[in-house]
Amino acid sequence: MKTAVEATEVTKFFGNIKALDGLNLKVNTGEIFGLIGPNGAGKTTCLRVISTLLLPTSGTVKVFGLDVSADAPEVRKIITYLPEEAGAYRNLSGWEYLQFMANFSARNKDEKYVAVQEAAEICGLGDRLRDKVKTYSKGMKRRLLIARALMPKPRLAILDEPTGGLDVLHSYHIRGIIKRYAKNRDTTVLLSSHNMLEVEHLCDKVALVNKGKVVAEGKPAELRDKYGSVNLEDVFAKVVGLA
Amino acid sequence: MLKGFGTVLTKELRELVRDPKILLGMIIVPLIMFPVLGSIMSFSIQSAAEQAKKASALVLDRDGGIYATAFMENLKANGVKIYNLTNVNPEEAVNRGLLSEYNTTQIIEIPNGFSENITRHLAGETNVTTYVKLYSVFSGTGIVEDVGSSLIDLLVERLNRQYAPDLMKTSKASIIKGQIYENVDPRTLSGLMISQAIAMPITIMILLTYSMQIAATSVAMEKEEKTLETLLTLPMDRFAILMGKLSGSILVAGIGALAYMVGFNYHMGSFASFSAVSGLDLASVGLAPSLLGYVLLGISLFVTLLSALALAVILSAFAEDVRSAQSMVGYIYPFLFVPSLALMYVDINMLPLAARIALYAIPYTHPIIASKAVTMGDNLTAALGIVYVAIFTLVIMYVASRLFATEKILTMKLKFKGFRKREKSAVAE
Ligand SMILES: Nc1ncnc2c1ncn2[C@@H]1O[C@H](COP(=O)(O)OP(=O)(O)OP(=O)(O)O)[C@@H](O)[C@H]1O
Ligand SMILES: [Mg+2]
Repeated sequence: MKTAVEATEVTKFFGNIKALDGLNLKVNTGEIFGLIGPNGAGKTTCLRVISTLLLPTSGTVKVFGLDVSADAPEVRKIITYLPEEAGAYRNLSGWEYLQFMANFSARNKDEKYVAVQEAAEICGLGDRLRDKVKTYSKGMKRRLLIARALMPKPRLAILDEPTGGLDVLHSYHIRGIIKRYAKNRDTTVLLSSHNMLEVEHLCDKVALVNKGKVVAEGKPAELRDKYGSVNLEDVFAKVVGLA
Repeated sequence: MLKGFGTVLTKELRELVRDPKILLGMIIVPLIMFPVLGSIMSFSIQSAAEQAKKASALVLDRDGGIYATAFMENLKANGVKIYNLTNVNPEEAVNRGLLSEYNTTQIIEIPNGFSENITRHLAGETNVTTYVKLYSVFSGTGIVEDVGSSLIDLLVERLNRQYAPDLMKTSKASIIKGQIYENVDPRTLSGLMISQAIAMPITIMILLTYSMQIAATSVAMEKEEKTLETLLTLPMDRFAILMGKLSGSILVAGIGALAYMVGFNYHMGSFASFSAVSGLDLASVGLAPSLLGYVLLGISLFVTLLSALALAVILSAFAEDVRSAQSMVGYIYPFLFVPSLALMYVDINMLPLAARIALYAIPYTHPIIASKAVTMGDNLTAALGIVYVAIFTLVIMYVASRLFATEKILTMKLKFKGFRKREKSAVAE
């Protein structure tokens, strides 16, 4: 199995704040990989480093063998990134947004057309795609953004809290999208979440992040066994030290 | 009572007071701005008074009589430094460049027969009168100017009181771009130009503040909605993001500059109709920009808008949201308002060197200076201003492009305590 993401001893400082503290991570190709951890654990920072937005202070991160610092432009060609709590251009319609974003990946008009059609199907917004983004609910916006992240068939999709703040139905829908479209299209997914249930059902593998480090890693079932817990929530509490 | 009013008010005040940007914008800026403006104004009035004191003039004594000498003595007594020339008429004086040779801007002509006419008047021939004629160079604009004209009026009035009423009159002519225009009082001209001197800075202030807000908001929206973060992870040249955003604003600025030029043209046109009443046509006396002048003014305005927009983009890149982006851009306003308001009152050339350098260094003054300059036919000043502002803009754009090439665009925040310790310089593309 090939490695999609390999982070080795990554640290990241913001001034004096140590956001990542020797983080190690390995994501295999084709996996849906989940990062879980308390607020401020460094999940977002980790994802931003992998998506070439931030430079690691030390350590290396490789995405399909490409270094995020040295080969950033190459890395950007094979990834997509969905920021935490992201929005879209408020005064564009959903269609226009997808078309705008498709310009960056499609090589010609036909490709662009196909991509936008597909993204429209993925998000399932139907006629509402013709309305301006500012009229969308939070859940609709997230569906649009997830669709756009999967639209260019990236080799790696990095999704920061794809279901954060959404209701049960929208979360369910989005999990369905990720499962269906990532698996069928050879896209590796690296996501973060606060929802243990979600991670347990959706992810092939999870890593528990705390204080800038990965403190436990493995398949959900393995982790449960290892810590003798009934669910990941319990594992989380044990590892992070609440229980 | 309104239930809950007090609670909301308390919270609101607490929040406002704790936002240093608001404090700075609402309190500190006016506290600094008005004293600065005040001192500029009092300086300009003072310097005008001083200028009157050490005023000088070429006196063309074509009479040579005792009253001519007496008149000149009176001028001297009033602090006017005079250069007495005989056998020269005003046209010759202008054409031979005597004004610049003697470093003065006024010619006083005492006509042939001045003394004789006074003698006859005083002897009872009261229908015989005489005059002195003032030719002054019309130089520029500014609300406080042209003391010479009033001084001559004052002197003549005083002499009339001394000798006989209705003895002497003043006659005025203006020298505009080396050409004498009879019966044109420079004061009337100034009056006409003042409205322009005020209209220009106001329009520029409005245009610049407006377009900077637009640019800042558009960048801050990208940050607030995290669409910038998305763009930065796309396989595209990061400089293209900056240029794309700037070009959008440039388009707005271009339309703004165009609309402004149309307005300016109309404004100059309204002078034409005004001058029909006063019998004065500014265009015919050469006080209207040439076509090249208009073009230069348009370019000057455009590059200035561009520099302001680029700066607005950079500043708002430091802000996390729209509100702080707007107050960030507010820091530029004093640099826009103070010079604009100052230039309404004074001509830049009247200021001391340090103030002049400061004004020239601020790019936003250049369209104002250019608008005066091209009206006076001085296209070079406008062109030099364009070069300076263009260089300024290029530097700003370079800084902006460096900013967009690194992670600083996402992590850097302007802090009041100064910049945080910088991180190791980030990767270049
Ligand atoms: N731009 C920044 N400047 C300064 N400190 C930052 C910055 N971004 C993140 N941090 C700090 O880094 C640490 C990790 O933050 P991060 O956002 O990665 O956590 P997270 O795991 O994503 O949290 P959450 O679950 O709340 O999203 C925090 O202490 C945060 O305050
Ligand atoms: Mg986060």
